[in-house]
Amino acid sequence: MLVQAILIGLWAGIAGVDLFNGLTHIHRPLVTGAVVGLILGDFQTGLIAGATLELVWAGMVPLAGAQPPNVVIGGIIGTAFAILSKQDASVAVGVAVPFAVAVQACITFIFTAFSPVMHKMDAYAAKADTKGIDRLSYYEPMFLFVFYFIISFLPIFLGADKAQGLVEMLPTWLIGGLSVAGGIMPAVGFAMLMKIMFKVSYAAFFVIGFVASAYGGMDILAVALIGGAIAAYDYYSGKGDGEDSGGKKAIVTQDVVEEDYSNGI
Amino acid sequence: MESNQISEYQDPSVEKVLTKKDLNKMVWRSLLLQSSFNYERMQGGGWTYGLIPGLKKIHKNDHDLSMALNDHLQFFNTHPFLVTFIQGITLAMEENKESRDTIRGIKVATMGPLGGIGDALFWLTLLPITAGIGAALASQGNIAGPILFLVAFNIVHFGLRFGLMHYGYNTGTNAIVTLKENTKKISRAASIVGLTVIGALVASYINFTLTLNVKAGDITFNLQEGVLDAIMPKLLPLLYTFFCFWMLKKGKSPLLLILITVLVGVLGRLVGVV
Repeated sequence: MLVQAILIGLWAGIAGVDLFNGLTHIHRPLVTGAVVGLILGDFQTGLIAGATLELVWAGMVPLAGAQPPNVVIGGIIGTAFAILSKQDASVAVGVAVPFAVAVQACITFIFTAFSPVMHKMDAYAAKADTKGIDRLSYYEPMFLFVFYFIISFLPIFLGADKAQGLVEMLPTWLIGGLSVAGGIMPAVGFAMLMKIMFKVSYAAFFVIGFVASAYGGMDILAVALIGGAIAAYDYYSGKGDGEDSGGKKAIVTQDVVEEDYSNGI
Repeated sequence: MESNQISEYQDPSVEKVLTKKDLNKMVWRSLLLQSSFNYERMQGGGWTYGLIPGLKKIHKNDHDLSMALNDHLQFFNTHPFLVTFIQGITLAMEENKESRDTIRGIKVATMGPLGGIGDALFWLTLLPITAGIGAALASQGNIAGPILFLVAFNIVHFGLRFGLMHYGYNTGTNAIVTLKENTKKISRAASIVGLTVIGALVASYINFTLTLNVKAGDITFNLQEGVLDAIMPKLLPLLYTFFCFWMLKKGKSPLLLILITVLVGVLGRLVGVV
């Protein structure tokens, strides 16, 4: 277990750095789940748990700088829990999300604590010392790597054999309830996306997507193609320009959108 | 600020010094935009880190370099995928020895709209679509899921990083006007695709059904199949999503919604409804 815990810790470190630097998105649960599955010797379960966790985090993205529950730890601990305790992936969601919330609180603290680094950089800038600024830039990623390593190594190393027993101790209504909650959880993420994007004038497109899937049973790719076709038609027919010169209502909604976008990351 | 008193270049001569190779080098550096992220100046440190090779080549004396570095270390925040566009424009202006005020102004004017466009394009469109398709494959145990996701996502990601650096540099300040003209159209197109996909995701990825059986006299029937599905398929996922949407609109935090969702699941199971 020691070797596996170390491997998972290293992987969490790499993924944790990627979350902010690199952004190749190897940190998404879809990918981390598969890798954790590989490390723990149950690739299939890892793949499926990763897919479930991915959807939970679908809308939990850093919109306008607000930090969502930590996707790296959520994906890795969630998948590891699903494999080690032989539980369904949706139970893992119930375990992963609270854990990820706690970790994100720590990260917020780290980002606050790193503010003084800027003043050190100012001092280097005054001396035109670019090497000094370069060097300081590597501290935070290294610190985060160690942080993610410890946070994911410890639960796996200390609680691997206990995870199963812990789950067996829990009453079935709690396990079942967490599983139900895990199934509903993506709604929170989707609502977060809608809060930013939804406007009354766009409601029609949401309805088209919903009906195509709920009644038509279409795949996501098929729905995305329909949406793309509508957007392309809309773009080239110049409908987007008309909105400004439209009625008063259109102008008001436009202003709201601009406000939403003004402080985005 | 001290820099305001000494904001004249000691060496105002304009010379084309940046090569394509320099620009590409700075694209790689842009990956560390958030390396020294903090709540005081956000991406300011990483933004400066990304520009350093160019600034060193452009400003050959320490006074001018120090002035530029000091400027760029101030607060900066934009979308990490589109930052190379601002880098390109900024480098074109630095090379042209524009006044510090102009460079600062254009930099700040672009980071806001690009932040918004980036949110719409990446977090709300590219990521949900590629990850949604990948997750659909992976949930059937298909290894192509994560691979397809990474390849599709990063082709767009790196294509834009490199493309926008050169585009931004070449168009220089003219690009600002184009961007301002098209901001709304691009956001609108991205929103249309995004919302269509979200509609489908709500219908296909939220599992929320009732298990409650209702006894009416001698007949027992299932509330989900007998009533809810007859009204509309996926009615509960739709209603719950709009409930969350409404709560968020009222300023409630996502964390509260997560807590409520856990309670709905656990209490619902305890009572025997879900």
